[in-house]
Amino acid sequence: MVLCTTPFVVTAKNIARVLGLPDYPFLAVQHPIGSCTLTELKARAEVAYKQALPILLNN
Amino acid sequence: MQLYSPLSTTPKRKAFRAPALATIDGMRIGVLENGKLNAEEMLNEVAALFVQRNGCTVRTLASKSNASAPAPSNTLVQVAQEVDFLLTGLGD
Amino acid sequence: MPAAATTSPRIHEVPDDLLAAIDFCYEQGWTDGLPVIPPVVDRVKAMLAADSRPAETVIAHHPATGLDLSLHAAAANAVMAGCLPEYFPVLVAAFEAMDRPEFNFHGSTASTGGSAPLLIVSGPYADEIGMNSDVNLFGPGNRANGTIGRAVRLILRNVFQMLPGISDKSTQGNPGKYSFCIAERSRGNPWPLLCETQGYAKGTSSVTVFAGGGFCNVENHGGNTPEQVLGSVADAMANYGCITLGQSVVILAPEHMQIIAASGWTREQAQDFLFAHARRSVDGMKGVGKYRDREYETQHGEAAHALAEGGFVHRGLKPDDILITLGGGDAGGHSCFIPSWSRGRGSIMQHAAIANRK
Repeated sequence: MVLCTTPFVVTAKNIARVLGLPDYPFLAVQHPIGSCTLTELKARAEVAYKQALPILLNN
Repeated sequence: MQLYSPLSTTPKRKAFRAPALATIDGMRIGVLENGKLNAEEMLNEVAALFVQRNGCTVRTLASKSNASAPAPSNTLVQVAQEVDFLLTGLGD
Repeated sequence: MPAAATTSPRIHEVPDDLLAAIDFCYEQGWTDGLPVIPPVVDRVKAMLAADSRPAETVIAHHPATGLDLSLHAAAANAVMAGCLPEYFPVLVAAFEAMDRPEFNFHGSTASTGGSAPLLIVSGPYADEIGMNSDVNLFGPGNRANGTIGRAVRLILRNVFQMLPGISDKSTQGNPGKYSFCIAERSRGNPWPLLCETQGYAKGTSSVTVFAGGGFCNVENHGGNTPEQVLGSVADAMANYGCITLGQSVVILAPEHMQIIAASGWTREQAQDFLFAHARRSVDGMKGVGKYRDREYETQHGEAAHALAEGGFVHRGLKPDDILITLGGGDAGGHSCFIPSWSRGRGSIMQHAAIANRK
């Protein structure tokens, strides 16, 4: 599962396309990560977790 | 007039997604952080939710020495043998 | 690098109208925003003749995408940039150097940090192809400097698909992303040329590639000792916006170099001085939120350089992280400092010989 922040979704999609998987699904959370507090990281983790479930189960 | 394309002539690649998991419960998670600020912390928080809610275990923690290069093949090969899915990051 | 599996280069049929062909190149997304020379088949073949290896020879590989740069694609982009065939060996050598993992051309191009590859050509080949090492060194007007640097950008865009906003995420960019290519000045240079210090045989020229994060003019018209001149350079190197463990390029103007040479300073003495003085206190780094334990420990750990003073974060890990040489016009106390890409040592400068492969 690849996690990125929203400004990098277009980058991730481009790399996926070039690597032969144009519809590869990503986890996208709010930018930035680098300056987040732990509370902010935990909130982003919740968002990522919810996105990951259907992707892992492919439904 | 005839113009040559300036693009790469590398053939287009095809790849395939890994098959879906039947269940997430009890799966082994690998975490591959890319060395960016808070990357390890972020991915660990996501992994922790899988541990708490799905009884997953975190089997491997590996770091990429270079955030902007693909992980070395031997890292991926080793990790793939030990986990059911991998969490990693792209970008900042 | 051997030839890899490739498809044949595609040919586009366009009307026999030069202006329409220029517009076609824009429509295809092949340009850097400026008009390009259409990569007409005959011109690309003439460019390829500057290197006798097969056209499908791969000279660089992009790990992130698996895309390869062939001599053919390099030639097409060199034509588009406006290069003459005699410039092609410089471009090829530059990509052979950039291809090394330590340079990390993907990271340095994709990054929000916005660096551009700086090419420094050293040795007699720079003169043979009419490069500029003198007045207006980093500015426009010289075909070789301008087009070789431009070809680098066109290749990054067109071959490796490092497109602004998509795979090139630099927050603000950098004017060097148009073209960032200079010649090292030999006239009046008291130190060995880079190609000599890099260990190449006498008469062999080299190109050094460096992921340059920007350009900082260092003005000093009153200083008349090496310490004063280099002190102002060191201060520029240590500005809070630039200070990292990364490498540096310093191009000294002739006026400044004369002061340093008159005191008999070697390149190594200048590097030692700059490393020792380009530093910020740990408290100061913490004050702006840029202190990192891991980085401080790296700089002051077992492999610490003797000049790395405790309680301070220096720019770089050691003096020879600082490339310093001569360039620019005879008049003006204006040297420059160019920081490495972004937050540290993600890209290490590389060099390669410029080979005559006709």
